[in-house]
Amino acid sequence: MLALLGLVGGLALLGRGLRAYRRAGRVAGIATSRIATLAAGEVRLAGVVEVDVLALVSPLQSVPCVYYRSRIREGSGDDARTVFDEERAVGFRLHDASGTLRVLPGGARWEAPLRFDAATDWTGGDPPGLNVNPGAAHRPAEQDREAQIAALLTVRPPADLPGEGLDGGSSLFASSLGAGGLGGSRRRDYEERRLEPGDTVTVLGSALPFGDLEAPVGTGPGDPASALDDPEVAMNLAEAREAGILRATPEEAWGNAAIPGFGIGRPTRVPELDPGASVPGLADGEAAAAAEARFAIPAGELVVAATTEHPLAILAGTPGEARGREEARALLGLAGAALAIVSAVILALTLPGLLR
Amino acid sequence: MSPLAAAAFFAVALVVVIVAFLAMVTYNAVVALRNRIDKAWGNVEVALRQRHDQLPALVDAVRDLMAFEQDVLVEVTRQRARYAADAPVAAQGPVSAATTSAVRALFAVVERYPEVRSQENVLRLQGEIERLEGQLADRRELYNDQVFRFNTTIAQVPAVVLAGLLGWEARPFFDAGANAEGAPDVSLDAHGVGPVR
Repeated sequence: MLALLGLVGGLALLGRGLRAYRRAGRVAGIATSRIATLAAGEVRLAGVVEVDVLALVSPLQSVPCVYYRSRIREGSGDDARTVFDEERAVGFRLHDASGTLRVLPGGARWEAPLRFDAATDWTGGDPPGLNVNPGAAHRPAEQDREAQIAALLTVRPPADLPGEGLDGGSSLFASSLGAGGLGGSRRRDYEERRLEPGDTVTVLGSALPFGDLEAPVGTGPGDPASALDDPEVAMNLAEAREAGILRATPEEAWGNAAIPGFGIGRPTRVPELDPGASVPGLADGEAAAAAEARFAIPAGELVVAATTEHPLAILAGTPGEARGREEARALLGLAGAALAIVSAVILALTLPGLLR
Repeated sequence: MSPLAAAAFFAVALVVVIVAFLAMVTYNAVVALRNRIDKAWGNVEVALRQRHDQLPALVDAVRDLMAFEQDVLVEVTRQRARYAADAPVAAQGPVSAATTSAVRALFAVVERYPEVRSQENVLRLQGEIERLEGQLADRRELYNDQVFRFNTTIAQVPAVVLAGLLGWEARPFFDAGANAEGAPDVSLDAHGVGPVR
């Protein structure tokens, strides 16, 4: 039985190692370009992460970041189950000594450092460092001063808490954990990988004008837009349109969230609110223009994104560090091959005895 | 087949699979490296061509205003004329370096003529050529880095085995070369520009 496990585990390690070998070759095979004089095509860039328009707020530690993968496992042994598993990313700017550039991470392979790895103590108490995000999953890169003051001065009655402020991923987070939230006596393991502003990263991908992107939203299998090619999905969409279920405009579909500046600064027009809610101040001419242009990227601006020829990889650390990690995995893969061979021999020696 | 023979067959098959995989990945990596060199060279050529196209405009703009510095202008024109887009990389390096030196000498002399520097079109052309020189320097660095990766890869195991079989050869760097023929004297003294005091 142990030999069989060794055989399967060794082959799995080998497969992982061979993939890592190929990735290490890609990291090593591309010279680092400087952002200021970047030419279109496959590129490798190294620089520091800067928030572009929006930053994410990580669910477990409430830290501003551009990427996170958070996981909570409950119980131990065979009884263990994942109660929360969420991965999110936003576009960011990469900064090197020569300039900055937008990175659109749709379809990217991320490799982020493990920033939080802790478990409840024996009494079931929360581990130090756990600071669950009670608010929105996004926040603006530069918060409007007036909006910050207003947020500080706003008193939120406890009765409003369950429905208020828990939007985006955090509401999913809250619901996935159940009504009890993070309480309870079972052991919980927390894990959060993040890339934060100021982190050094290596980006491998395709540099191209934004206007040339075929699917700027993302090209990964998890991207909802990729399902539109499916004939069945297309048929369902057509039926939904006929039935009037599909909304025609972003305003109809998203309500206040379609108003530029709403929720991330000052809205450009009056949102529709409950009668008792306080109406936020509207953005003036300059702020409104900035809010309208916040997500607009000029068609000719060079961005780095995934294309069908060149997949996008965003790896923590310098190119040398990223390559070193992949090479270590490749070596582990060779060890896996040796393990598989030894296990196969042991299996061959013991199998006749077992069959008798 | 006995179980032990099956295990031996499995071990050999696994090793063959690993070797075949390494050979395939290495071959693809070297082909990708070669294509990246070609692309990097293409980008260098674009910058060289743009500089080649811009230089006459700069020379024309300053010719009348710098009547006593014709030798600098002639040098820029001479080096520009040596550019040949279809020349091999090894030959283009010294020509490009000499052109850069001549342009720098011209800029150094222009600094002595306030009336020339105040001309808007001269400033614009100077800015554009400086931008192209910066771009050229970065792209040359990228090209050389790519060539270095290719040359190193085909000299190392496992690619060296395939290099022998497939005839892969080291690519030339794009640099000034040991003998930069025609390189002008760019020292400030040569053009009467003394040190700043």
